[in-house]
Amino acid sequence: MEQESNKSALSQLFQTFFLKHWPVWVGGILLGVLNVFLFMIKSPWGGSGGYNNWGENIYQALGFFGIENVTPTSASLYGMLNILIILGAFVGALLAKEFALRIPPIGELIKGFIGGGLMAIGAKLGLGCTIGGFFSGVPALSGGAILLTVGLFLGTLVALKYLMWEMEHLPGISSGKTKTLLAASRGQGAWQKWLGFIVVIIAIIIAYSYFGNNDIMGWFVIIGLMLGLICQRSRFCIVASFRDPFMTGKSSSTIGIIAGLLIGLIGFTIIKQFGIGAGDIALRSRELTWVFPNFWLRAPIGGFIFGLGMTIAGGCAVGTLWRFGEGQVKLWAAALGFLLLSPIAKNFIEPGFVKLLPHSTNFRNFMPDYIGYIWSVIIVLAILLIWYLFVKWNERTGKFSAY
Amino acid sequence: MEEKIDESLDVKGLTCPMPMLKLSKAMKKLESGKVLEMLGTDPGTKTDLHSWCDKTGNTLLDESELEGGVFRFVIKKK
Repeated sequence: MEQESNKSALSQLFQTFFLKHWPVWVGGILLGVLNVFLFMIKSPWGGSGGYNNWGENIYQALGFFGIENVTPTSASLYGMLNILIILGAFVGALLAKEFALRIPPIGELIKGFIGGGLMAIGAKLGLGCTIGGFFSGVPALSGGAILLTVGLFLGTLVALKYLMWEMEHLPGISSGKTKTLLAASRGQGAWQKWLGFIVVIIAIIIAYSYFGNNDIMGWFVIIGLMLGLICQRSRFCIVASFRDPFMTGKSSSTIGIIAGLLIGLIGFTIIKQFGIGAGDIALRSRELTWVFPNFWLRAPIGGFIFGLGMTIAGGCAVGTLWRFGEGQVKLWAAALGFLLLSPIAKNFIEPGFVKLLPHSTNFRNFMPDYIGYIWSVIIVLAILLIWYLFVKWNERTGKFSAY
Repeated sequence: MEEKIDESLDVKGLTCPMPMLKLSKAMKKLESGKVLEMLGTDPGTKTDLHSWCDKTGNTLLDESELEGGVFRFVIKKK
């Protein structure tokens, strides 16, 4: 009897996590908390750096562009973090029996690759993506992050217009032969659950192998796995947070992202103000963590290009990773475009682009330097509140929604 | 009782936002009271569709899972 009720308690717990998707705001809050943990250990969450590390490793192995002395991915915090996010999402999808290889029409694969490439270029020019530049950058009280956000917004809107135009005038791109493999529908596919548990064990072994000589990496591995799982279960999507109010009018993704930003804002501000985890480095460099030198024009231009890319691809830096793990093959193409274009943008596009802009390339706009911590936080809170009120009002009235 | 299907929409293999964009477009063309069947493979559609129906007032008559990871949704236009 006792054993029975223990078993049902465990299965209840399992159902809570894997029977249904979680509300996005639950995911947002959890991701915000984990982002604060990452900052406590080392530095906040970032996405594009990991892709760049993958790309540079591939080019180095192939001997292209003379790229050398690259950090191996196994020693790159953000390169590993991205791999673990894919694994975490894979686990989330497997345990919920939602995993399947979903192969889209060829036109969609091309859109994925182009979208990924644009994200890589945008992230290099704007010095940050939707995660490092926005989801972490805004709570880091970076002035450049606010400008990057404006760029992301505009890019998303333009690309959404394009997608709607494409549907009317070039419907062939999103139709054609598709295939779905390895799906576990209708009570079949118990293997997915088992494989899910095996992947968790593998991830724990990977983390274990780092502890002792590289504790920071050990924690990045564990947190990465959790980030991926949470994203997949809550369908945490930054593209949707910008796009949906102007598409179907739905506000839940935006509210989820706002929840995560809010937690990050509180945690990051505390870490910076008190210099928590500064260790050997100076308090000042702790304050300037994730405040990138992208103020003033780099941020909105890069953000705009990134916004175009993520909307066409259907996933931002992290949305691409977790959908990759779920088996959406379009996002495999996006990840490939991202990692292949990132080192090219870094070596061939960024240097020339920076020369065009009339400003110091080392200038970092840290908002508290000008208006103090309290007012910086109040301003970010006010922006979040206005954004929240806007999407709720728009959801009710449909004023700015296309459908 | 199974409703008569007036229109069928295949969004298999497509990922967010394409299924919802195509659905919105297809529903616009449909007359009131007509029924549309949508076949898709994106797990996100399950969540998106409920909130979309709440918002637009269309009715989700049925949702089921077919062989091979295909989700089937039957929606009646308001």
